[in-house]
Amino acid sequence: MIEFKNVSKKYSNGTLALDDVSLTINDGEFVFIVGESGAGKSTMLKTLFREEKISAGKLIVDGYDLTKTPNRKIPYYRRKLGIVFQDFRLFPNKTVFENVAFAMRAIGVPTKEINRRVPQILSIVNLQDKLKNFPRELSGGEQQRVALARALANNPSIIIADEPTGNIDPKLSLEIMNLLIKIHKIGKTVIVVTHEKNFVDYFKQRVITIKDGHVVDDKIGGMFDAQ
Amino acid sequence: MRSRYSLTYLIGQSIKSLSRNSMMTLASVAVLLSCLLVMGTFSLLVLNIDHNLEKLGDMNQLVVFCDVDLTEREVKDVEKKIRAIDNVDGQSVKFVSKDDVLKEEKAKYKNNEKTLELFNDIERNKKNPYPDNFVITYKDASKVEDMEYEISKIEGVEKVNCRADLAESIENLKNGVVFIFIWFLAILFIVSVFVIINTIKLAVFSRRQEISIMRYVGATRWFITTPFIFEGVIIGLLSSLPAFGIQWYAYSTVVKIVAEDYTMLSFMSFDQVKIIMLIAFVGVGVITGIIGSVISLRKYLKA
Repeated sequence: MIEFKNVSKKYSNGTLALDDVSLTINDGEFVFIVGESGAGKSTMLKTLFREEKISAGKLIVDGYDLTKTPNRKIPYYRRKLGIVFQDFRLFPNKTVFENVAFAMRAIGVPTKEINRRVPQILSIVNLQDKLKNFPRELSGGEQQRVALARALANNPSIIIADEPTGNIDPKLSLEIMNLLIKIHKIGKTVIVVTHEKNFVDYFKQRVITIKDGHVVDDKIGGMFDAQ
Repeated sequence: MRSRYSLTYLIGQSIKSLSRNSMMTLASVAVLLSCLLVMGTFSLLVLNIDHNLEKLGDMNQLVVFCDVDLTEREVKDVEKKIRAIDNVDGQSVKFVSKDDVLKEEKAKYKNNEKTLELFNDIERNKKNPYPDNFVITYKDASKVEDMEYEISKIEGVEKVNCRADLAESIENLKNGVVFIFIWFLAILFIVSVFVIINTIKLAVFSRRQEISIMRYVGATRWFITTPFIFEGVIIGLLSSLPAFGIQWYAYSTVVKIVAEDYTMLSFMSFDQVKIIMLIAFVGVGVITGIIGSVISLRKYLKA
């Protein structure tokens, strides 16, 4: 469960990016976060990764009170999150297999276990045949699927996708969205920040709209235009 | 989790990164290596000065110069009076005649014809300017000043030369060397640390995307920073081991040459200091490497 309780975030330059935000996302929910550029969506995600500390309020994720969690425990907290970026952030000189394996290696998973699990995860995103390919040999949609597989590698309970279709051919975007829905159906909490009106309206999930650092709308089956 | 696998993986990462930034690695190694060589050379210099000072102290000797124009009888009288002094080891009193001194000097300048001619001239005219002298060994070094005074009061004694003078000037020289050595070394180490900081920073920069992904997937600080710390350690080893070899070779060669020309000096053999030198080289090299890495990684040591 994710709980924002009166959360504010003010940057050192004085910008108030989040202003008294309160909301709860339950385990296994699928949530779209929408809003204009500069509305505070990125800051919200950054506070979730604990890339940024909040200035006021309380933020509790999966039992971790992020205002109190010491730095040395943050890596263990982050293992509960799987993160997907708009620009994929894959290693160009590593194969699909190695890109996914990297996430597991980074937290000390034994090689044997890596060799067993990576193909399984890649089959969830339908890339079991591309194990040995390099990212440059894949389409944008396929690259984002590798990134999704990497996010899933350590079996996180929450998947956070920041504009996952922003760099992809619109025809292939639907495939990514469908995959996110599939991941949601296997029991993960999925949070998607997006500008894609069509998808938000089509999938009829919970939509949280942010404007000027405030939550201005929060509806299950909401529409993109609520902002 | 610090599995054995991840350790080999991390060391592999360090080696890859060092070879990727080979020029900076080379620069770091060169600076640190020079620094260690200077440290080793100065240490050996100071050790050898100490070694010779100790030998000098062991001598417990004084040289008593008689007036130039004393007769043989008067010289015998002086000798008797010297032998009568408590602190003088009677067995050891050695008479060196003015003729002996002249002979010694002639031998010293045997290759210098002009000076030799001068000495021959002196011999022919029987105008030997050197005084007769006695080399005496004393029993108790703490009473040497009283003894020196007593001897200087004996009639016919021109001057007493205590080797302590020599010891003192060598000691002063040593202190000077140590002083220069410490400053020189401090500056060199600061330079080394800076070069290593830059090398590691470059490595961190070229791997920044990797580091950011490692952080997002929950890699611990240990996992993220260890390859860079290992890089520092490897730079330390790459510098210290060759530096040790060079030092060994250079010292042995220099000692061989110098020992031939300065037979009065005695030199320590490298074997006597080999182990401690190796430990010091590797220790200083590796610690400098680690300090450089840790400073350049401060940012990443936070969460």
